[in-house]
Amino acid sequence: MTSAGDDVEVVLEGRITARTATPIWQAASATLARHPDRPVVFDASRVEYVDNVGLALLFDLIRHERSSEAKVELRALAPNLSALLAGYDPRDFAAAADSRRHVGMLEQVGRVAARELAYLAEVMGFLALCARALRRARTWRSSVMWHDVLNIATETGANAVPIVLLIGFLMGVIISFEVGLVARQFGAVIFVVNGVGIAVLRELGALMTAIVLAGRTGAAFAAQIGTQKVNEELNAISTFGIDPIEFLVLPRILGAVLVVPLLTVLADVVGLFGGALVMSSFDVDFLEFYTRLLGVVTVGDFALGIVKAAVFGLTIAIVGCHRGFETGAGATSVGLSATRAVVSSIVLVVVIDGLFAVFTS
Amino acid sequence: MSGILTHSDPLADRAPDSRLAISVRNLRMGYGARVLLEHASFDVRRGEIVVILGGSGSGKSSLMKTLIGLYRPMDGDILIDGVSLVRAAAEERAQLQRKLGVMYQSGALFGSLNVLENVRFPLDRFTDLAPAEKTLVARMLLRTLEMGQAESLMPGELSGGMLKRAGIARAMALGCDILLLDEPSAGLDPITAANLDRMILSLRGNLGVTFVVVTHELQSIFAIADRAIMLDGPSRSIIADDEPVALREHSTDARVHQFFNRQPDAPLADRRR
Repeated sequence: MTSAGDDVEVVLEGRITARTATPIWQAASATLARHPDRPVVFDASRVEYVDNVGLALLFDLIRHERSSEAKVELRALAPNLSALLAGYDPRDFAAAADSRRHVGMLEQVGRVAARELAYLAEVMGFLALCARALRRARTWRSSVMWHDVLNIATETGANAVPIVLLIGFLMGVIISFEVGLVARQFGAVIFVVNGVGIAVLRELGALMTAIVLAGRTGAAFAAQIGTQKVNEELNAISTFGIDPIEFLVLPRILGAVLVVPLLTVLADVVGLFGGALVMSSFDVDFLEFYTRLLGVVTVGDFALGIVKAAVFGLTIAIVGCHRGFETGAGATSVGLSATRAVVSSIVLVVVIDGLFAVFTS
Repeated sequence: MSGILTHSDPLADRAPDSRLAISVRNLRMGYGARVLLEHASFDVRRGEIVVILGGSGSGKSSLMKTLIGLYRPMDGDILIDGVSLVRAAAEERAQLQRKLGVMYQSGALFGSLNVLENVRFPLDRFTDLAPAEKTLVARMLLRTLEMGQAESLMPGELSGGMLKRAGIARAMALGCDILLLDEPSAGLDPITAANLDRMILSLRGNLGVTFVVVTHELQSIFAIADRAIMLDGPSRSIIADDEPVALREHSTDARVHQFFNRQPDAPLADRRR
């Protein structure tokens, strides 16, 4: 230890590395903070080794502006380290690394609303592109790849049968049970059949099938096309002069529009069966349930559910494919596209269901 | 007024007592029953730049992944700073692995973090530095690798050369003085590749970093390598271990001579004869 007049002298010693730098850095910074008006000398003659963290420590000691009477000096630093430090300009590090501006709540709401509106416009544009591609495929037999449509219909439809059956059945069971408990208090158990019949055929069969398909198929479409985009397969398809929408999107749209109504029929049937099963515990047997059902529901109710299912299938396929096409770069973007496809599909399906309810009531 | 600032933690950071950064002893490696390399022994001295080369499929990248402990060798030993990586228990093995900085072929940056956050990641996980200090370390590293302007970009927005340089910055963040680079100049334009070579030489010269570089880019090999270790797929062995120029000029092995002089195989008809 040595003393040199007003100078504060600190000897740096040993190895300064990522694993040893923390206490040295803290102590050195504290020394500088304690003596803002006095010159400080850091003697580096006993430094054995520094790695990049040690180098950052040395740079941090000399980079801050101090008055001319309170200069910081790094003494006896090895020439190679001096040369390295000379390569950094303190001004480059003056700006905060993260200069993200704070966004207020109102601005945030506005931004989200603008983004969603822009997204809706994009989806409509994409829908127009698909319609144009469909119109171009005048001779469907040759232009549409029916083999792909069949594969997609199998994957989207046949493989989804078990989950749709399960959800449809449970949906019928739960609704008739919950409503049946309340109706029994008023002696109106028989009217539960009306509720279950209308709800399943007009609303829930199509809606629940669409929600299951949005999670299963919408995400898959987005991930498949997103991965193809990341791997530049879309560019390769375009380079062959093939329209990616005709090649990738049309088969998916056709597949989804075909299978979602079929799955909805299954969901309707097992939903009503589940309802009838529960109603038998409320002393309404199967025959009574069936007779009552035929009296309260019409072919129109059933047809409305099927038409809605086709529109939902179209929505899920369009949104899934569109999210796939707008995938950025890297694996994270693919995951993000799949997630967004599910969320957007479900929101749009519910909104469209609401519009159907308004215009068909 | 004066004081001494030092901190030593003999377990966490000791001066290497061995001049050998990596020692490979009688290594046998492969997948399942398929052996890629056997009876392989070589040393990498501190501050040395060693290139591992060989034709496609000769096991270069697999050897690198075995050296860093991702693959377990079938037999033999790998010593990092004199300590066996193969026999180490899980905790010691993780400590040894943290001594090695690795840059993967694609950069392998985390897609959800920007460049600066990627480089800060190991510092966040394994050091007690203050946030501002970690950011300074990361930003200095990025400046060193000429990536200062790209620190707020996401990996998806980077070119191939930038991905590799960011990968090197992240590999160096913990102060690793042994860096393993997998195909650093593959797919890069000649100027970017030459800049990368210059950077490797500068890091070795100024910070004493040891490099093991897997590549088959001849220009890079001659520019940076102190020694070249050549693997041969068919014979599953190391067939050369010397300075690149010596191998090119004096090797009597036809395979080595062919590789370093960039000669094609003989026409199929001649080979059948």
